[in-house]
Amino acid sequence: MQIEREIVFPATPAEVWEAITEAERLEEWFATEVELDPRPGGEGVFRWGDGDERRAVVREAEPEERLVLDWDDEGEVVLELEEVDGGTRLHVTETSPDWSTALELHAFAWVAVA
Amino acid sequence: MGRGRVDLVFAALGDPARRALVEAVAERGDATATELAAGLPVTRQAVAKQLAALADAGLLSATRAGRETRYAVTPEPLSDAVAWMVDVGAAWDDRLARLRRSLAANLETKAL
Repeated sequence: MQIEREIVFPATPAEVWEAITEAERLEEWFATEVELDPRPGGEGVFRWGDGDERRAVVREAEPEERLVLDWDDEGEVVLELEEVDGGTRLHVTETSPDWSTALELHAFAWVAVA
Repeated sequence: MGRGRVDLVFAALGDPARRALVEAVAERGDATATELAAGLPVTRQAVAKQLAALADAGLLSATRAGRETRYAVTPEPLSDAVAWMVDVGAAWDDRLARLRRSLAANLETKAL
């Protein structure tokens, strides 16, 4: 099961990369408190104002191109950057570990509803 | 968000025989292990075991009827899976809107 989002920012890949890998920048949009070592094998801790906390390990980090985080509780997040006319396209994919069976589940849901 | 329950649903539906059973129950409205086994090349006991697993996952509701248990399909677990997609999708919509503002603010700071 996965969700995808795509958005083009009027910024360079370097600027977007900074915003998705530097802890103090991540605190402006992703979580309230962030620690992140943006290198393969590096660890990340994300805390939110409501007391929620999630931990992740960096699986891939290709500067200005691709960042992959493995959540320690479930799933992964893939952030891909691409330079386009007018800025940088960010493609986000968040996957829960069960997404392959979810495709079957989705097909199944149609059968059950029909 | 019922994430644990979603996992249980996926595990229950990961098996093709179990999915076929849920479909068979859905077609009939409700059914017992004996009724379902009659149309399948498996024993009543095997069907009863699968039905119990599906009921544990919340996919089927179980009602005692005399010596037998009648099963019916419950739609809620599928809603949990849909809820995950809606929640995670909405979270990213919010984050990306904040990221857009963060990038714009950062560019303004640099321009000054």
